[in-house]
Parts: sequence; C-alpha cells; structure tokens
Amino acid sequence: MFDWVLQVPILSIICYLPLAGAVIIVVFMRGTSTLAIQRFATLVAAVDFVVSVPLWFTFERQGELFQFRESANWIEAIGARYEFGIDGIALLLVLLTTFLGVAAFLSSWSAIQVREKEYYIFMLLLQTGMLGVFMAMDFFLFYVFWEVMLVPMYFLIGIWGGPRRLYAAIKFFLYTLVGSVLMLLGILALYFYNSTGLLGWGGLGNPRSFFIPQFHEISSQIPPDLQFWIFLVFFVGFAIKVPMFPFHTWLPDAHVEAPTAGSVILAGVLLKMGTYGFVRLSLPILPDATLKLLPWMAGLSIVGILYGALVAMAQKDMKKLVAYSSVSHLGFVMLGVFALNTAGLNGAVLQMINHGLSTGALFLLVGVIYERRHTRMIADYGGISSEMPLFATIFMVITLSSIGLPTLNGFIGEFTILVGAFNRTWWWALLAVIGIVLGAAYMLWMYQRVFFGPLKNPENKGLEDLNGRELAYLIPIVAMCFWIGLYPKPFFDIMEKPVDYIVQKVDPEYAAAVADSIEPAAGADLLAEIED
Amino acid sequence: MTSIAPQEFWLLLPEMVLAIFGMALLVAGTTGRGIGSRMAAMASLVGVGAATILVVWTQGQATLGVPILAGMFVLDGFALYWKVLFLVATALTVFLSARFIEEGGYRAGEFYSLLLLATTGMMLMVSGFNLLSIWISLELMALSSYILAGYFKHEQRSNEASLKYFVLGALSSGILLYGISLLYGATSTLALPDLSRSLSVAVLHGDLLSAVGWILLAVGLFFKVSAAPFHVWTPDVYVGAPTPVTGYLAVASKAASFAILVRIFYQGLAPLVIDWQIVVAAVATLSMIWGNIAALTQTNVKRMLAYSSIAHAGYILMGVLAANETGLWALMFYLLAYSLFTLGAFGTVILLERREYAGETLSDYAGLARRAPFLAASMLIFLLALTGLPPTGGFFGKVYLFAAAIEAGWTWVAVVGVLTSAISLYYYMAVVVQMYLKDSDATTPIPMRAPGLVAAIGFCAVVTVILGLLPGVFVDLAKSSILPLSWNLL
Repeated sequence: MFDWVLQVPILSIICYLPLAGAVIIVVFMRGTSTLAIQRFATLVAAVDFVVSVPLWFTFERQGELFQFRESANWIEAIGARYEFGIDGIALLLVLLTTFLGVAAFLSSWSAIQVREKEYYIFMLLLQTGMLGVFMAMDFFLFYVFWEVMLVPMYFLIGIWGGPRRLYAAIKFFLYTLVGSVLMLLGILALYFYNSTGLLGWGGLGNPRSFFIPQFHEISSQIPPDLQFWIFLVFFVGFAIKVPMFPFHTWLPDAHVEAPTAGSVILAGVLLKMGTYGFVRLSLPILPDATLKLLPWMAGLSIVGILYGALVAMAQKDMKKLVAYSSVSHLGFVMLGVFALNTAGLNGAVLQMINHGLSTGALFLLVGVIYERRHTRMIADYGGISSEMPLFATIFMVITLSSIGLPTLNGFIGEFTILVGAFNRTWWWALLAVIGIVLGAAYMLWMYQRVFFGPLKNPENKGLEDLNGRELAYLIPIVAMCFWIGLYPKPFFDIMEKPVDYIVQKVDPEYAAAVADSIEPAAGADLLAEIED
Repeated sequence: MTSIAPQEFWLLLPEMVLAIFGMALLVAGTTGRGIGSRMAAMASLVGVGAATILVVWTQGQATLGVPILAGMFVLDGFALYWKVLFLVATALTVFLSARFIEEGGYRAGEFYSLLLLATTGMMLMVSGFNLLSIWISLELMALSSYILAGYFKHEQRSNEASLKYFVLGALSSGILLYGISLLYGATSTLALPDLSRSLSVAVLHGDLLSAVGWILLAVGLFFKVSAAPFHVWTPDVYVGAPTPVTGYLAVASKAASFAILVRIFYQGLAPLVIDWQIVVAAVATLSMIWGNIAALTQTNVKRMLAYSSIAHAGYILMGVLAANETGLWALMFYLLAYSLFTLGAFGTVILLERREYAGETLSDYAGLARRAPFLAASMLIFLLALTGLPPTGGFFGKVYLFAAAIEAGWTWVAVVGVLTSAISLYYYMAVVVQMYLKDSDATTPIPMRAPGLVAAIGFCAVVTVILGLLPGVFVDLAKSSILPLSWNLL
C-alpha cells in the first residue's frame, strides 16, 4: 500500500512541501482573499501530514539505523553534502512536527486577524526549517536548517505577538543565535580534527566531510580534552534551545508574547531540537566528555525540574505557567537523556513527544479562551466549567496528561525516565519525583481556580463552548495522549534500535552491566506488565 | 633594466580602454552644456562592458603569472577574479547612481568619468607586481574617490566628508609611501618576488629598517580597508558622501584594498608571516569588536552600515590572518558576496532617499513591508546576509572565514568573530523591526521609479540567495583563480 514511498525522495517532499506552498502564496496568490490563503496554507500543512504518515508504516523497525536515505553533492569544495535520512527518533519528531503543524494552522484561523498572508508564509517556512533539522544527516546542512528556522520564528513573535513582542522577539533571536554560532565553532573543530588536525591535536586524515555518521564512527578516537571543549560549545547551543536551567530566561518571554500557534510550535517542536541535538550529536560523538560531565548535566536537569515547577506555581498568567512547566518537563527529558541507559533514553524520547502533545494542547486551550475573553489571568476566571463543559473536559484530560496520570501519555514517559534515572543514581530519581508532585500541584491548582467555584466574573457568563474547528484540532491530540498512555509499545519499538545504538556508543560497559542485571529495555517491559 | 617588448602594452588594453572612456566623459561633460545623465550612464556602461570583455580576452593572451613591463605588472587568475568583480561593482554603481545624480541636479559627465578612472586604478593595482606601480594605481583610485565623496558640492556634509577623506587619506598614503621607501632602503628592491627573497635574509638578521618599513606599509593598507584603529574616517565619509559613492567606497574600494593587501602580504612579505599574523590578528579582533559595538547605537542607517563595514573588515582580515589556501579563497568568496549584498543595501537606501539626504534615519523604514514589499524583502535578505545567516552568501562567506581561522590555529579570533556577529544581529534587526514590525503613518505605496535601480537591487538579492544555496560554483571559481599562482606563502 505504501510502497510508493520508497520510490520517491519522500523526505525532501515532506520537507519542501511547505516551502513550495509559501512560494505559491507569494507568487500566485497576490489578489487572493485572506480566507483562501488561510485555507490553502492549512491544506498544505494537512497534505504534508498525510504524506508523512506512510513513514510510520514503511519504516523497518529492525532495518538500517537511518532509512529513506537521500544523497547528493552540494558543496564539494568543503565536503558538505546533501544528506537526508531518519532513524526512529527523528521519525517520531518529524511526525510530531507535521501533526502539530496542522493543529497550529487550524488554530490560527480565528487568532490571526492582521497581515494574514505574511503570517501563513512564515508559518510554512518555519515548518520546512524544522523538518530539515530532523532529517539532515550532514552536519553543515543541519546547521543551515537550524539557523534558517530562527528567522520566521522571530517574525511570528515580533509581528503577531503580545504587547512586549519586540523585546521578546529579539531576545529569542539573540539567545539562540549566540548558542548556535558557538555550536558552529564546535562543528568546524570536529570537521578539521577529522581531516587535518587542529591546534596540536593531530587529525585522523579522513577525507573532509560533515557526514554525521562518520563523526559517530570516529567518536572513540577524539582526544578527551578536545571532546570536552566541543561538548561545552554544543552544550551552550543545545541547552539554550531546550532550554536547560540557567539558559531558560528567554522562554517565558517568547512564550507569553508569541501568538498561540507560535507557542504551540515553539513548545511542541522547537524545544525538541535542543534535546534532539544532545541525543543525535553530543552523546554519540562525544562519549568521553558526556560521561565526564554526566553529574553536572543531571544536576542542571534536576535543578530545572524543581525550579521550573516552583516558578510555575507562583504564576498568575496561564500562558506563563505553562511556559515554566515546560522548563520543568524538559528537565525530565534531559534527566532521561543523561541517565544514559535504555530506559532513560526511551523515556526521554517518548517524553519529547508527550510534551509536544500535551503542552502544545495546553497552549491551544489557553489560546481558545484567550480569543473569547482576551485575558490569560487566572484570577479573571473561575467557575467556567458550567459555561464550557466540553472545554473543561478536554482541559482536564490534557492537565492529567501533563501531570502524568496513568492511562495517559505523560505517565509512561515520566515513569520510564525515573526507572532509568534510578538505575543510574537512585537519588536523582528521588529528587525528580518531587518535581512530579509539584507539577500535579500547580496544574491542578490552576485548573481549580479557572474552572471550579462560583462564576464570579459576570463577563464569563455565556462563554461559547468549543466549536467544530477547535474540536477538530483538539480531539486528535487527546486521542494520541490516550494511545500512548494505553499502548506505548509501537513507540518503544520504533525507537528501540537508535536508543540501543546510542547507549552502546556512549557507555558500552555500563550498558552491558545493566543488561546482565535487568532485562533489556527495562522500562518498556515493566510498563507492559503494568498495563496488563 | 630589463627591456620591454612593445606588445606587452596590449595586455593592459582593458585598463586603457576604461581610462579612455573616463577621459572622454570628462571632456564631454565639461564642454558646452555637458552630457545628459542618461547618456553618460550609458557610455560608462559601454566602457565597463568593453573592459570586461577585454579583461577576459587579454587573460587568454598572457602567460599567466609571468611579470610584464619590466616586472611592474602581472596577469594571473587572482587579478582576473578581482578585475571582473570591480567591473561588476562599477556597473552596479552606475545603476545605483543614475537617478540620484539626475535628481541632485549635479553634472553627470565628471561623476562617471571619476568613477571609471577610480576603477582603472583598482584594476591596475590588483595587477601590480611592484610596490611603486601599486602605489601609483592606489593613488589614482584614492584621488578619484576623494572627489567623488565631495561630489554634492552644495552640501556641507559632502564637503566635510571629502575633506576628511582627503586629509586622512593623504596621510595614510604618505605613511604607505614612507614604509615602501624604508623597505627599499633595507632590500634595495620594490618588486614583490625580489622583496620576498631579500626579506627572508633580513629576517635572519633581525633587521630593524625592514621591520619599521613593513609595519608602516601595513598601517597604510589597514587605513584603506578601514580596519580599526585606522577607521576614524569611515563613519563621517560614509554618511557625508552621496549614497552611490558610499556604496562604491564600501564595496569596490574595500575589495581592491583587500586584494592588494593580500597580494603584498602573501607575495611580498611572505617571510615575515609569523610577525604580521600577530598584527593582523590584533587589528582584526579590534575591528570586529569596535565596529560591532559602535554600530549598536546608530540611528542613521548609513552610519550604521559604516560601522558594520569596519566590522566586516575585521571578518575579512581573518582570511588574511589564516595564511592558508582556505583563507585566501574564503576571502575572495566573501568579498564577492559582500559586494553584492552591501551594494544592494545601499541601493535600497538610495531608493528611499527622496532628495539627497532624506530617508537615512531608522524611522524612515517604518512600515516599509506594507508600502514596498519588494524593497523590504530585498533589504531583509541583505541584512540577513550582513548578519551572516543562511540562506544567503553572507552565511557561507563567514563560515569559510571562521573555518580558515580555525584551520590555521587562530581559534580565539574565530570565537571573537562568532560572538561579535551575534551582537551584530541586534543592530541589523533594528532595521527589520522598523520595516516589518512597526507601522508608519503613511501607508501609500512607495513608487518604484528608476527601473534600473530596482533591477540592480533585485539582481543583488537574487545572487545573494544563490550564493547561499549553491555556493559551490563560486567557491570553485575562487579556488581555481589562485591555482596557477606561485604564492610564496601557500
């Protein structure tokens, strides 16, 4: 049924379809009404999602690590090539991007009322940039997409954002640019070490290349000192993106000021690029430095979990609360990554998806009510569950998913991460659990203040409940939350190979020791038992 | 004294043709009622076109890399690359100037005449193989530029720019010449290859005379490329000069000065590489830091671009600093990209200037995205390229320069480079903020008069993006043009 996928350059099609849509809008839709443009852009996003779905069915779980390969010459002079390919982790993130993309476009129909044409052009360009990051297998190509994506995001925040949008936009841009230019130096250092040598570190004499799997191969030959420095500059680049404590300060500003769809993409996909960077690049290329810096990384993750949760608790603005909860949740992901075992990484990758779904949905929900009342202050609400029963129900499900209630996706991710963290160092898990408790507290407290109690504010009377369009983009997300919560096995299956590969690459001895003491893929099996 | 074969003069035919066109324009412009602006522009374009064809043709006739005319000049791939670049930049400048000169009410003949003569100087300079022929060509370029900077003679700012440029320029030329004379005293030669041979002996003896000589020579060159701390003339001249001239100075003048700086450092001062690398590293770092930080607070776009040009001198010096093959072709590629996006940016400023100096402040750009979407989009591309963001030629150019510095072991300079380019984002984005994020009171579309100017801006924008998507072709071009050379350093 999906055989055709293997006959065409499917990844390029998925990646450039939004770009083509943007070009069509610029060139051919000059006098067209905004309605037609918004329908067309959404259609492009929907088609992109539909085209990406066959990846899930045709990806061979036990096949090659990277599949759907595309390869072509690009800049021969420096050995940069056009290399596309995805493994199980990238596949999940690509699907998440196209999936959330549709929801983000749908939510914009009513939210965006000015300069619609430009808005949809930038949104489409952003999709292309993000998809390219997850698909690129050439480090140079990866970097190009990584940077290209900043520009549309800057405009999305800067033009359609809240009152402090100018400040938030330039802060976002500057922060991430500083991180990425430093990363560029790291990339160049690796590149020269691989070919000719660098600063007294004799090189390996390989042909000049930016091919990521080649860097994976030479990882054990890179001297520890060099690994340390490269890890540090990569860390700055990725940690700002994630964001890890103490590089998170741009996030609340960007989130609060961005339009709803911008927040959804920002939280849902953009932040994952940081964690993806760690998983795809820092860990397998720089194993020695990873192990050396492990306690620091885990420490920052735990601080992030607790700090994010505590700050979230004090927020009066719903969007800001969700933004800080992201800092906390991403702390969990990073803890799972740096547990450096199968369970931890499995959980981390799954939690990337979970966070994308549930936080994306939370921003969408806040956007829904903001459009009706033009305020995000918790204090302005109270008792609206009677006015908007459907909205209250879906908000409840997503809240529970976010705090990790069993049968919903968040539980599977967090639990698996905790298993991994416990295996590595037991008290890491102990500290992280406090974060879960706090998470439940701030989310439920917000829910209670918004939805329960008497309907005090007269302006909230007669609020319109969710309409068909809003249900159309919320229900699929809720369905996904239940799917992952009830039957996560397909997800663990697809990431099994790449996760094992990374664990083997970074810490083979530990991986072997753990394999002896407990069964492989501990988290997945344990969970399967619990579910039964 | 070596004998000169008469046919060797034919190899300089392109320069001669350009000079003849220049002088003819001068005569036509000063006799009777002068020559019409459009006519003069057409004539200079014909001259530039003829010179371009002849440059390529003479290249085929010459034995590459063998000095001609008693060792005064040389024709090689390096010179060809730059000559074509200067001619393209000059042609674009003509497009940029046409309406501007017309509306300013100044005579056109002399303007284009000076433009062509300056370009002749650049072309001779980059072929120069002897410090004396280099200096004379440099002066031809510089003297024409001084007058061009003051071309709006009824404007005080233009007079001031011209005077400042002249006084400081003459000083730097003097320093340059003094350095040359000291080098001559130390080595008794001015030909670059002989100089290199003699210096390698002098280095062994720790010769003070040659040391002072090359440092003065370097200072003179740093002045010409407007690198800090020899940059003080730049902001005032850039602001005061008529905008097309500013663009020409920022692009052609700078590229020519860099070309000759590279030729002198790589071919004449090769034995001193260890010494001049330290100086270049210091100057590059200072330029990047000073230029970028000073640009942060500017509200006049031309002044901002002036400081940004100082910063760019710092980035480009990284290619010199590397003293390896990557550095050389990275510098050549970057200056190609830089020429296009800088001329494009100045072209946009010109289009917005209603009369002479209006339209320079940041707030004039408010709401441009709605009033002139094409102009705003082009400017956005130029600004992204100036920042060094993909998908533009500026991104690749910068990456190659950083790569060259890292390859040569100057990682700390590259670190300064990337951090300062992150800083530069702030002031370039200030223009974007005005164009896209702010609304203006006026909402009427800006008329796109001057189709030639609009076409030039569009050309620059398209090529800037092409350089950012498929840089390979142009990198190969730059690489192949340094191949047949006997670069002493590489």
